[in-house]
Amino acid sequence: MPYILNTENDTGEMLRAAGLKSLSDLYSHLPSKIKISGEPNIPSGLSEQETGQFVKGLAEKNKILNSFNSFLGAGVYNHYIPSALKPLISRAEFLTAYTPYQAECSQGILQAIYEYQSYICLLTGMDVSNASLFDAGSSLSESVLMSLRITKRSKVVISSAINPEYKKTLYTYLSGFNFKIQEIDFNKDGATDIDLLREALDDNTACFALQSPSFFGIIEDTEKFSSLAKEKSALTILVANPMSLALLKEPANCGIDIVCGDGQVLGGSLSLGGPSFGFLATKNEYLRQMPGRIVGKSVDREGKPAYCLTLQAREQHIKREKATSNICSNQSLNAIQSAIYLSLMGKAGLRDCALYSLNLAHYLYEKLKEIDKVKLNFSRNFFNEFIWQADNGKNIVKKLYKEKIIAGLSLDGVSPKLKNGILSCCTETKTKEQIDSFIETLRNILG
Amino acid sequence: MDNRLIFEKSDEGRKSNYVKKPAIELKEPGQILPANLLREALPLPSLGELEVVRHYTNLSKLNFSLDTNFYPLGSCTMKYNPKINEELSSLEGFLNIHPFQSEACLSGALELIYNLEALLSEITGMKRFSFQASSGAQGELTGMLMIRKYHKVMKNKKRKVIVPDSSHGTNPATSSMCGYETVVVESNPDGLIDLDKLSKVVDGETAAIMLTNPNTLGLFEENILEVADIIHKNGGLLYYDGANFNALLGITTPRLMGFDVIHLNLHKTFSTPHGCGGPGAGAVGVVDRLTDFLPAPVIDKKKDKFYFNYKIKHSIGKVRAFYGNFSVLVRAYVYLLRLGREGLLRVSQNAVLNANYIREKLKNDYNVASNKPSMHEVVFSCTRQKEKGVPALDIAKRLIDYGMHPPTMYFPLIVKEALMVEPTETESRKTLDYFIDCMLKINREIEQNAQTLHDAPHTTPVKRVDEVRAARNPDLRWRFSAK
Repeated sequence: MPYILNTENDTGEMLRAAGLKSLSDLYSHLPSKIKISGEPNIPSGLSEQETGQFVKGLAEKNKILNSFNSFLGAGVYNHYIPSALKPLISRAEFLTAYTPYQAECSQGILQAIYEYQSYICLLTGMDVSNASLFDAGSSLSESVLMSLRITKRSKVVISSAINPEYKKTLYTYLSGFNFKIQEIDFNKDGATDIDLLREALDDNTACFALQSPSFFGIIEDTEKFSSLAKEKSALTILVANPMSLALLKEPANCGIDIVCGDGQVLGGSLSLGGPSFGFLATKNEYLRQMPGRIVGKSVDREGKPAYCLTLQAREQHIKREKATSNICSNQSLNAIQSAIYLSLMGKAGLRDCALYSLNLAHYLYEKLKEIDKVKLNFSRNFFNEFIWQADNGKNIVKKLYKEKIIAGLSLDGVSPKLKNGILSCCTETKTKEQIDSFIETLRNILG
Repeated sequence: MDNRLIFEKSDEGRKSNYVKKPAIELKEPGQILPANLLREALPLPSLGELEVVRHYTNLSKLNFSLDTNFYPLGSCTMKYNPKINEELSSLEGFLNIHPFQSEACLSGALELIYNLEALLSEITGMKRFSFQASSGAQGELTGMLMIRKYHKVMKNKKRKVIVPDSSHGTNPATSSMCGYETVVVESNPDGLIDLDKLSKVVDGETAAIMLTNPNTLGLFEENILEVADIIHKNGGLLYYDGANFNALLGITTPRLMGFDVIHLNLHKTFSTPHGCGGPGAGAVGVVDRLTDFLPAPVIDKKKDKFYFNYKIKHSIGKVRAFYGNFSVLVRAYVYLLRLGREGLLRVSQNAVLNANYIREKLKNDYNVASNKPSMHEVVFSCTRQKEKGVPALDIAKRLIDYGMHPPTMYFPLIVKEALMVEPTETESRKTLDYFIDCMLKINREIEQNAQTLHDAPHTTPVKRVDEVRAARNPDLRWRFSAK
C-alpha cells in the first residue's frame, strides 16, 4: 500500500492504545445501512512504474500545440517560459504548503504574495491588489459583484466583445440574484459601441465592464468609456491582459475603477486552460469590498518587518453569510509563479515579449492584407491578435490544419457579424518563417 | 539573509535576453498604435537570474511545508503529495495543449478526465461530475447554483438554506452568493445536528441543507439518514461539502448517506498539493435527477471518441473559463491509479486511526470537544489551559518551535479555544508520538514558564506578527517612489 507508513505492528499497538480490536471498529458507530458492502468497483492499485507508463500513454495521445504552426490565442497564450521558473516554483516549500495562516512559519510565502500584489499594482497603476482569484472569468464576476455592493445598484452593463468564456462565467455567477445584465454590441471597427453605452447607462447602473485588448484583440479607448460611466456614477471594470500592459497605458490612468483578468500570460503553461490565476486590483477606497485573501506588511513584536494575511474581517471564515465572497483557496502558486516570471523577465524582458508580439501580429496583418480574398474590416489598433475574414472561413481553417497550421479560432457561432471570422494571434514565440509559411499556404488554398 | 523585497534588489541596466528578436523590421509601439493608448514608463525592476533564483529560493526556506514539517492542519487534509503526480502532470503532452484545439488533438486529456469521472462516480455513488470548479468553495457555488436552478425549473418556491453552526464559513457565504437566506441550526451538546431543532426550521421553503460529514468537530453525523429524510420530505436537497471525505473512502458514499449534490476537494482527499493556498479543484458530483443542471460541457464518449458535450438541458452555464484546473485533475487521477480499490479503504482507516491515537494519548491533558468517537480529525478545547492563562493561540505558536505546523485554531466556532488536529494517514506513528510528546511538554510548560508560551515562537525568522497593526494601517504593496 503506497504512501502509508503505519506497519502492521504499529496498527496493532495503536488500536490497542485506543481500546479497539480491529480497524473496522473505528467505524462501528456508523449506521450499517450506509456502509458499503465489499470493495468499490475500481481497478486494483498499480505500481509507480505501471502508472507512469499508462499515463504517459494518455499524454502522448494529445497533439501538443508546439507540433503545429499555431496562431491560436483567444484567452490562452503560448509565451516563452524561462528555464529558471519551474525549479523555483516547484520548490516543495512553496508547492506543499497551505494558505499562510501561521505568519511566523510562512514569511516566504507571504513576502512572495506581497511582491505579487505589488507587481499587479505596478502593471495596472492601481492602488491595491488581492492575492489572486481563480481565473479571468471568476475575477470579472467578483469585480462585478464588488461594484454591485459598492454602488448598491442593480444593473450591469457589459461589452459584448468580452471573451465569451468570461461572459458565460459572469452570467452564472450572477444567476442567483435578480440583477439585470445588458450587453453593448460592437461597431463596424470591432470596438465597443460608445453610443450604445450612452443609451444603456442609467442611474441604476452599477458598472460598465469591458475588455481591452478585447476578445477580438482590439485595444479599446477605455478613457472615453470610463468618463461616460462616471457621468452616471457607475464604476468601470476592465478585463486586461497583463502582458499587454508592458506597452499599454496603465488602467489607473484611464479612469478604471477595478482591473481584473487572467495571469496565464505571466509564465503559465497552456495546460488546457487551467490552472492559471485571476487578478483583481482596485482603488484604495474600495479596498474593504475586495474579495479574497490579502497580504499586508506589518512588524513582529520586536519591531522587525513581517508579513501576514490581513483585512480578514471581509472573509467567509469570519463574516460567514455576510462575507464579500465565499472564496477560500485561490491560485496562490500561480500568482507567485507570475511574480517570479516578472522578476526573471524584468522590465526590458517583459517589454521585449510584448513588443515582439505586437510587431509579429502586425506583420501577419500586413501580409494578410496583401491577399485579395482576405477581408480585414476591423480597427488596426490591436495588440497581439486580430480578426480576419474569408469566404468559407471554417473550411479554410480545416484545410490549413491538414498542413499542420492552426490558423486561430474560428468565430462562426460567436456572433452573426463574425461569420467566417478567424481570430489569429502572434506571441514572441512566432518567427517570420512561420508567418511566411502560413501566408504561402493560405495563398495556395485560396487560389 | 538579505530579506529586502525583490524590487529593492533591482539594478537598472541589467537585461535578461530570454526571447529572440524577430527577423522583421521592428517598430516602436508609437509607430503602430496611437500615443494616447500607450504608457510612458514601465516601473518594473531589472534583475539578474542568479539574483532572482537566490531570492525566491531563500524565501521558500522561510516556510513550513508538508515536505519539511508535520502539518496537522485540521480540515485541510495535509497528506503527502506523491512526486509521481508532479512528474506526470508536467508531461509536455498535458502542459502544451490549448483549450481551443480540436477534440481530436485533446483525446488523451479528455480520456483522462472521463476516466477520473468514472472513478469518482464509483467512489461516491454520484451519477456524474463536473470539474470546472477550481476550489471547494467554487464547487459549493457550482452545486448550490444547480440546486437553485433545479428548484426554479421544478417551480418549487424556495428561499432558504440551512447550515449547522459548526459548518465551514464557505457554506453560509455560498448560500448568500446564490441569493438564499441562510438559517443556522444549533448543534446539540455532543456537536452533532440536533434533529428537533432541525425539524423546527425546515419547511417547504427549504431549498437545501449544506453539510460536512464527518463534521468540523471530526464527528460522524450518525443521524444522517434522518436528516436526509427531514429535508427530502420538505422538497429540499442535501449538499455534501466533501472537505472531510478522507475519513470515509471505501466505507460509505455520499449517495448512501442521502446526498444529492457534492463537491470533493481534490487538493485534500486526493493528494494534490496545496501550493500556498491553491490551485485546487472542486469536483462537483450529482445524482441522476440533477445531471441536467451540470455546468457545460461534460465529457462524453461516442464510438471510442471523447468529446465535449454542451447539450445539457438546464445547464447552469460555466463557473470558469474553459474546463477547470486540468493539471490538478491529472494529479488526482494518478493518485487514484496508484491507490486502487484496496488502497482507498486503507487511506481512511489509517487517517481515522491516527486521529484517534492522538486523541487517546492527549485526552487526559487536553479536553476533547465531544465525547462522540473521532473520525479523521480530533478537536481539542483548550479551556483548562486557558484558565491557567494560556490560550490555544500560544499552544499553537509554541508547536512551531518544536518544528511542527500548528493545527487549525479557533475553529469550529462552537468550540471554545479549539485546536483541530488532522494528522492524515500518511504520517508515521513516530511522528504522531513526537507531536504527542510536544503537546504534553507544552502543557507542562504552562506550569513551569508560561511566558515562554506567550512569547512563542522563538525559532522563526520573525516573532509574533502584529496583525492588528496590519489591518489598521494596511501596507499592501511596494511603491517605487518609496525608494
